[in-house]
Amino acid sequence: MDKLEFLAQAGEYQRGAWRLAFVNATTVLPAPGAEEGSFELCWSFEKGGRLEHLRRTVTPQEEVPSISELFGCAFIYENEIRDLFGVKLTGIAVDFKGEMYRTATKVPMSPRAIRERIEARSKKS
Amino acid sequence: MKRTVVLMGPQHPVLPEPLVLDLVLDDEKVVDAIPTIGYVHRGLEALVEKVEFTDFGNVAERICGICSFMHGMGYSLALEDIMKVEVPERAKFLRVVWAELSRVQSHLLWLGLAADAFGFENLFMHSWRLRERVLDIFEETTGGRVIFSVCRIAGIKQDVPDATLADVVRRLHELKADLAEPGKVFASDPSIRHRLSGVGVLSREDALRVGAVGPMARASGVALDVRLTGQEIYDRLSFEPVLETDGDCMARCKVRLREIHQSIELIRQAVELMPKGEDAPVEVKVKGLPKGESFIRLEQPRGEVVYYVKANGTKYLERFRARTPTFANVPAMIELVKGCDLADVPNIILTIDPCISCTER
Repeated sequence: MDKLEFLAQAGEYQRGAWRLAFVNATTVLPAPGAEEGSFELCWSFEKGGRLEHLRRTVTPQEEVPSISELFGCAFIYENEIRDLFGVKLTGIAVDFKGEMYRTATKVPMSPRAIRERIEARSKKS
Repeated sequence: MKRTVVLMGPQHPVLPEPLVLDLVLDDEKVVDAIPTIGYVHRGLEALVEKVEFTDFGNVAERICGICSFMHGMGYSLALEDIMKVEVPERAKFLRVVWAELSRVQSHLLWLGLAADAFGFENLFMHSWRLRERVLDIFEETTGGRVIFSVCRIAGIKQDVPDATLADVVRRLHELKADLAEPGKVFASDPSIRHRLSGVGVLSREDALRVGAVGPMARASGVALDVRLTGQEIYDRLSFEPVLETDGDCMARCKVRLREIHQSIELIRQAVELMPKGEDAPVEVKVKGLPKGESFIRLEQPRGEVVYYVKANGTKYLERFRARTPTFANVPAMIELVKGCDLADVPNIILTIDPCISCTER
């Protein structure tokens, strides 16, 4: 799914009076020998008790357009996903510029950070 | 006129937990608010990397000290969904009893904090005195007052005798009677009305636009209550969402007051309908490792919580995510403080019932 198709589908949900209930990112670690991992992104919309999901898998370099113009509450999820995962979200309506979470480790859920933690643990044990 | 930026937090008398709001002021009016969180970010979700899925329920419970039971319940429901486990009836009913007890104690806690915020210390003490009785019930039925560790994947750790449950219902009805007087003060005292009525108004349209959940949404007339979807045994209980339409701080206070009564009634119904007898099973054995994903929604005291669990067939989960109600209500909070007087900001923030430890996980 490309950017335009993704925005068009999100727009369909907005016009259909669906509510943005949840946005999630999951880190996919790189295969052995590969350089970079990816992120599974999932936008969940609710209407009448039913949940529907819009999913995309993106690389750390890939830009993902914000849907905060369509859904007023999306900015809080998008800022979080950028701060914790390092997903390149662009055009966020209320942009905290990476300052929403003041965590000790920058982008603690990036594929590299997770892999480093796993390697450190296996060395220790 | 020159604009001023006032930093509210991270330490402030109305904030039990750290949160910063950069308030942009035009004279005494707030024109913008920029929140900063992250002061107590614990990275609990990342612990799936090293805590086995059988133990992770204990981590999920520690997301919050108020909704701890419901976080454990949400995690268990997600794993039960992935592993296709059917939980015994009695365990489902007992889970609902504890979930509604959580709502009662959370709302009483909030009423006390609200009273303290607008300087009504006596009312604060009354509310928290009543809350202690609910914590006593928790202690008698689970062994804990804050962290319970009673909810497990595929059931609950311990049963509660029928006689104890009947006594719980009796004591909750006494609590309901004793709440009448403080409740009357909350709803009609002129000084409280002066501080809360017409302050921090969130219209129905704005509540929908900014994705408000829980009492925040219901106080603006939005009938959003996940319990209506029939989770666990809620479809067998008779109730309607508590709604107010004014959308102001007073409406949010009234919703929580009425929900205490509603929860006590739901507990009575659950105890009445529950399969009787202490020999009824409350847990089933689970074998194998989870593989798949699940989305679970629950109605916590502060509103809708969404859990996402992804399992890859090993003993470590690939992802655990909890989108808590306060997180969803942050855009609403920003919306509310824009245009209000600086002096009203503490009360407005308090009426969203913010839980920062939940938000930061």
